[in-house]
Amino acid sequence: MMTKLRSYGPATLLLWVLVLIYLFPVAWFILSSFKPGSELFSLPLSILPENWTFSGYITAWNRFNFAQYFFNTGLVAVVTTVLTVFVSAMTGYALAKYKAKWLSVFFICILATTMLPTEVIMPSTFVVIRDLGLYNQLAGIIVPSVITATGIFMFRQYFKTVPDELLEAARIDGVGEIRAFFSIMLPLAKPIAVTLAIFSFQWRWNDYIWPLLVLNDPNRYTLQLALRSIVGADNIDWSVLLSASVISLIPMVVLFFVFQKQIMNADMNSGLKD
Amino acid sequence: MNPVLGRRQLMLGGIAGTAAVGLGLSACSDGAGSGGEGGEVTHMQFFLSGDANQGGGYAHMAAKYQEETGIEVEIVDVANEDLTTKLKNAALANDLPALARVGSIDATWKDVTMDLRDILDTNDVKSELAAIDPDGKVLSLPSDITAVGMFLNKTLFDAAGATYPAVGEEPWTWDEFTETIRSVQAATGASYGMVMDRSAHRLKAFLYEFGSNTFELVDGAFETNENTKPALEYFYGLNDDSFMPRSVWLSDGDPNGLFKSGDVVAYCSGSWQIADFAVNIADFEWVSVYMPKQPVRVTNYGNAASIVVFEGTGQEQAALDFVNWLYTPENYTELSETSGFLPAVNGITVTYADNAEAFELYNEEIEASDEVAARLKTQDLEGEIEGRTIEGDPLRDETVKYLNDEQDVDTTIANIIELLNASL
Repeated sequence: MMTKLRSYGPATLLLWVLVLIYLFPVAWFILSSFKPGSELFSLPLSILPENWTFSGYITAWNRFNFAQYFFNTGLVAVVTTVLTVFVSAMTGYALAKYKAKWLSVFFICILATTMLPTEVIMPSTFVVIRDLGLYNQLAGIIVPSVITATGIFMFRQYFKTVPDELLEAARIDGVGEIRAFFSIMLPLAKPIAVTLAIFSFQWRWNDYIWPLLVLNDPNRYTLQLALRSIVGADNIDWSVLLSASVISLIPMVVLFFVFQKQIMNADMNSGLKD
Repeated sequence: MNPVLGRRQLMLGGIAGTAAVGLGLSACSDGAGSGGEGGEVTHMQFFLSGDANQGGGYAHMAAKYQEETGIEVEIVDVANEDLTTKLKNAALANDLPALARVGSIDATWKDVTMDLRDILDTNDVKSELAAIDPDGKVLSLPSDITAVGMFLNKTLFDAAGATYPAVGEEPWTWDEFTETIRSVQAATGASYGMVMDRSAHRLKAFLYEFGSNTFELVDGAFETNENTKPALEYFYGLNDDSFMPRSVWLSDGDPNGLFKSGDVVAYCSGSWQIADFAVNIADFEWVSVYMPKQPVRVTNYGNAASIVVFEGTGQEQAALDFVNWLYTPENYTELSETSGFLPAVNGITVTYADNAEAFELYNEEIEASDEVAARLKTQDLEGEIEGRTIEGDPLRDETVKYLNDEQDVDTTIANIIELLNASL
């Protein structure tokens, strides 16, 4: 017992300290949302609100049509994620398992898109979206986000590790190409699909600049657009901003608890480019 | 092995996905542009920023307008920093709103604005704050006025037994002001004497008060007068991390939060803070006081924002009617009272429900302001109309370098002039 404590004790302690360090700003943020505006800056600073209030939440809830924004953001995030995973898996599979010279060239072209920051291609993307008639439509923020080089690359690298013999065996057994993909290869790539889905969902949920450019009608606003309108020219209504931000976090937190197992198991690919 | 998705599920998913996108496409073709050319306009969009934060005056007036006329003016509240980007892209997509309340005129859309001359003349709007091009076309009307002003922590003043010039008395000088603040600081143990927003707008008020004309365009080049250098040196002296915290100007510390903490004696900011302080300061008493003069009595005032009506939306006339309605004395007074605006229309009396004395003090300060403020404001508006653009803000950015000891005061002034001239 003592040996166990001696060997694991310091590491556990260190991890707990890290947990507390990570928890501190989040806890302060959430507790501050229950403070009245007059308490946010008063000295000495306190963690716990002196007078608990929900006034920020009430104002935020009344000012913003959260149901609409959650729906818009959710629709965009879900549709984009489904399409992204589907398209990335098929593309990645083709690039890994079919042999043709032009496929390699095509792959390099896809990889090359990661060289350009999103902001750089934004004006041209905007013109394309406008000419396609997708301006001011949710489709205008879904379509350009479907193809991601990161997703394609993830799937390609994964399918490369799957032995070709498996595929050949299936073909010999008379399995068609489409069935081979859906029944054999895609199930194998489940961890990648889940990882990509999680990242894609987060990217789309938190996306700000592109929806800002494309959406004009407040009824189609995503959550992030609505939240930022709280930041005024010279003033910020902190208590409303804090409360609205907490509300906006709730769906992500719920999703995290639902998919906790998958998220924790997913390969840590943070720092990837969307 | 269980497939992740069965073929049937997959097909259903694909159909659902396609349907969702298609739905998005079709559902979105109505909306903003309702009531196109020739048809009767029943709905138009009004882009602005921060209305809800400022009492919701425009939303209130839009509701009243709909009640009276049946026309819906939809208020689209965009984050202030992004309003310019938003309008630029809307202009590119040929989807400008009927009207907007903007921070400045933008080259992308300045040629597609309607002439607001009739509204300006009919309602006696302050023409010195309107953007008027050389042909006399009125591109924008001032929506309301903001002015730079001084706030004091009255509780600290009372505790120290110090006094400040009351309304109607002779304003104090910067020397008297700093001396008093330092005495309050010493008596109460407040951490800092004063904070000032990190903004050229506030700094300009300070410079004007020292007799500077800041940077003025004369005969095709920018120049400044002999009072700018001593004023900047005075400002440098104040940023000593005891009277003023260096964090605000050098690293973007939050002056509003610092003042609200109750640990700072004075805050040089402006009229827009009144509403915020009224709600969000409970621990101490605050008061609006005269800006110090040295020796010039002036505040930097100007349009908080400007109203523009766009051409080519098919809703021009409806938008002009709305703006005209908005600027009639009765409605404009109601708007100003709801949002706590300093009026940009001459000859109207606004009765503020809260903090009336603070608003009156600002109106008095504007009345008493030296003409230099209005002259330089006109110069700024002319610059916008000509489409002069500049990266960042030379006055603020170069002053920050000076405060940080990266360059001396002469280099600072020379750099500002050089950068401003480069924009010509």
